[in-house]
Amino acid sequence: MPSWQDFQPFIVSGLALGGVYALSGVGLVVLYRATGVVYLAFGAVGAMGALIAWSLINHAAFPDWAAWIVAIVFSAAITLAYGMVFGAALAKREPLVKAAATLGLLLVLFGVMDLLWTSSGGASRSLSLPTDNGGFQVGSVQVVWTQVIAVGIGVAIAAATGAFLRFTKLGTAMRAMANDREITATLGVPVRRVEAAAWLGCGALSGVAGLLLADLVALDATTLTFLVISSLAAALIARLRSIALTFVAAMVVGLVHDLLTPIQSLTNYRDMTPFVLAAVALLLLSQRRVISLSREEA
Amino acid sequence: MVLQHVGRIRTMSVVVAVAGAVALAGCGSSSKSSSSSAASTPQGASTGSSSTSSTSASVNTSSCGTKPGVKATGTPIPLGAIVTSQPGTSFTDIANMANAYFTCVNDNGGINGHPIKYYIETEQTNPAQIAADAKQLVDTDHVVGIVGNTSIIECSIDASFWQKLGYYVIASGIAPECYSTPNYADVNMGPRYSSDGAVQYALAMHVSKIVFDQSNVPGTGYIAGGPAALAAAAHVPIVQLTENVPISDASSVAIKEVDDAGPNGAVVLNFTPPEALVILQAAQKLGLEDRVKAWGCSTPCNTDFLAKALGPKWNGKLFVNAELTPPDDTSSPAMNLYKAIFKQYGSAVSGGIGSFSQMGFTEAEIAVHALESIKGPYTVASVNAAFKAVSNYNTGMLCQLWTYGSYPTHIANNMDYTVTPDNGRMVKAPNGGCTLISSVDPQVAAYRRAAGTAPQAPTS
Repeated sequence: MPSWQDFQPFIVSGLALGGVYALSGVGLVVLYRATGVVYLAFGAVGAMGALIAWSLINHAAFPDWAAWIVAIVFSAAITLAYGMVFGAALAKREPLVKAAATLGLLLVLFGVMDLLWTSSGGASRSLSLPTDNGGFQVGSVQVVWTQVIAVGIGVAIAAATGAFLRFTKLGTAMRAMANDREITATLGVPVRRVEAAAWLGCGALSGVAGLLLADLVALDATTLTFLVISSLAAALIARLRSIALTFVAAMVVGLVHDLLTPIQSLTNYRDMTPFVLAAVALLLLSQRRVISLSREEA
Repeated sequence: MVLQHVGRIRTMSVVVAVAGAVALAGCGSSSKSSSSSAASTPQGASTGSSSTSSTSASVNTSSCGTKPGVKATGTPIPLGAIVTSQPGTSFTDIANMANAYFTCVNDNGGINGHPIKYYIETEQTNPAQIAADAKQLVDTDHVVGIVGNTSIIECSIDASFWQKLGYYVIASGIAPECYSTPNYADVNMGPRYSSDGAVQYALAMHVSKIVFDQSNVPGTGYIAGGPAALAAAAHVPIVQLTENVPISDASSVAIKEVDDAGPNGAVVLNFTPPEALVILQAAQKLGLEDRVKAWGCSTPCNTDFLAKALGPKWNGKLFVNAELTPPDDTSSPAMNLYKAIFKQYGSAVSGGIGSFSQMGFTEAEIAVHALESIKGPYTVASVNAAFKAVSNYNTGMLCQLWTYGSYPTHIANNMDYTVTPDNGRMVKAPNGGCTLISSVDPQVAAYRRAAGTAPQAPTS
């Protein structure tokens, strides 16, 4: 078993990943609450935004900041467009149909990325943020500013979204739609506009997450596309409802995943972390349901 | 309330099921791509020193044929290839470059007046499809030779088929069967022997420990056997690690490798370029590049893409095994012809100048050399006898002369270079000239016992 000192660097990397998972998980929860859609294309949209930023920086001599903005705007725009085109048609469909439809967008984007940013001939790309060049030491552990920013953005987005949903008119409308879309509409809430705001916000968050993960993990379409699974696990643990719980779950997923790395016997199973945690959470929730049903019967 | 709760649980269960499907899709695609990685992965073949700077050709392409400027009009000689082409993993550059060479030959006299007709079948790591491709080449296209095969699993699927029909394949190998069966001979070394080369270079630097890390895909045990034998013979401890790909926590992986190796140790990677890059970049961000004595990598890291992305911090710090002659540093007749053919005929070669297209060129060059030796009709028997008879041929692309021969196994390329990044390019490392892969690897020893040690090429 590794010593405490051996674990220390993995706490830092785990928290950084957890921060980005939290950011993504919050985006997924907000969209789900407003539209009932589990947005499986979140990772693919972010990946494509990051690859576009890479192309603009390396082949069109764009300033870095301008390319990042384009990436975020692209992610927001494509998500909004998807929501506007398919949102209404899917509104009354089963959750599985809604989720599978976003899987379609994922596959289309995945194919386009493979075509435009091919990996043949040993091609490999990277997107480094300037914050990689600085950092500080905590004991023997090197902390890079990008890792600090990842955690910071995760905290900030979770807090801001929680406050937004609680204290703003639009946030209240989103919460109302989560309970009952039809009743909310009959009360005069502009449902389509509220949904559009949710799609737009979720898309922008996918752009930010894509850029951060491209730096922290890899600028690779496959990797970024399927990193959504960790965020999705966090959102599921929070029952696709609680922003605070999504944040905590995301940090736990990131931490547990990385803390398993130095443990030789478990290291090759660490990618199961999000599934195991989500499965345990679902099992516990099922038990609670049985208990609550029993109580009502009694 | 209870109903609402039940509905939510049902929704979440559905989401878990869909997420599982997504994960499976991810695994599939990553195993394609990570498969593009190791053992049975493209990694082995994905040796891509990709240089964009050296496409200026001083040689006329007409030297590829025997009758410059005269188009071949005789009966075509049908040859075929099977290559992997799927999202994340494409070896089509190899066959496309072979095709460019054949087109050049056809434009300059052909083979005794006969043009080569080249059939390229692509596959998506589907055994049934690969078997069908082989049958189509034989039964429908009536090919008389197989040249340029590069596939993650084709050797495993078709080895006995080719053996039964008497085809002797000239290929770029990945799967173990590409090296351990009588009917395949490769121009590249593949993941095992390339990893041997990288470990061998690290051992020559007198490191105290080796950490060998590779993709967690089928075949890793076979690859790991070589480095383990080399380290044991040198009495240096070796830690064998595997990583699930695509890697989602590169920082953790880099920290673990460096911690395991220690300050006087070496970390040797066997991954595809994108995976190796994320590990090396994570190490760089965390300031780990100087925390070990050396970093090594098998051939896939031999790409200018990687050298550019890494930057100067890795100059002389990362040592990469190179199976083919570095194109930037070389101005031999064969290298100049390769660059000229690429320029004139290689529009379909998307990866540019680099190891993939070098392999395609070399395979085609060997095939043409063999075909030109045939007197009489071009049949399966005559063509494959000519392929098998190639002996001590100087390709101009390899460290040593290339031989097919009648051997139970074929490791025809078993002498390598070592390169290191140099401000965005890969250049020969100090003492990185042609070096024999050690016979301490029992597979190499067995091959040399049967075939001997091929002489070093005069142009290397």
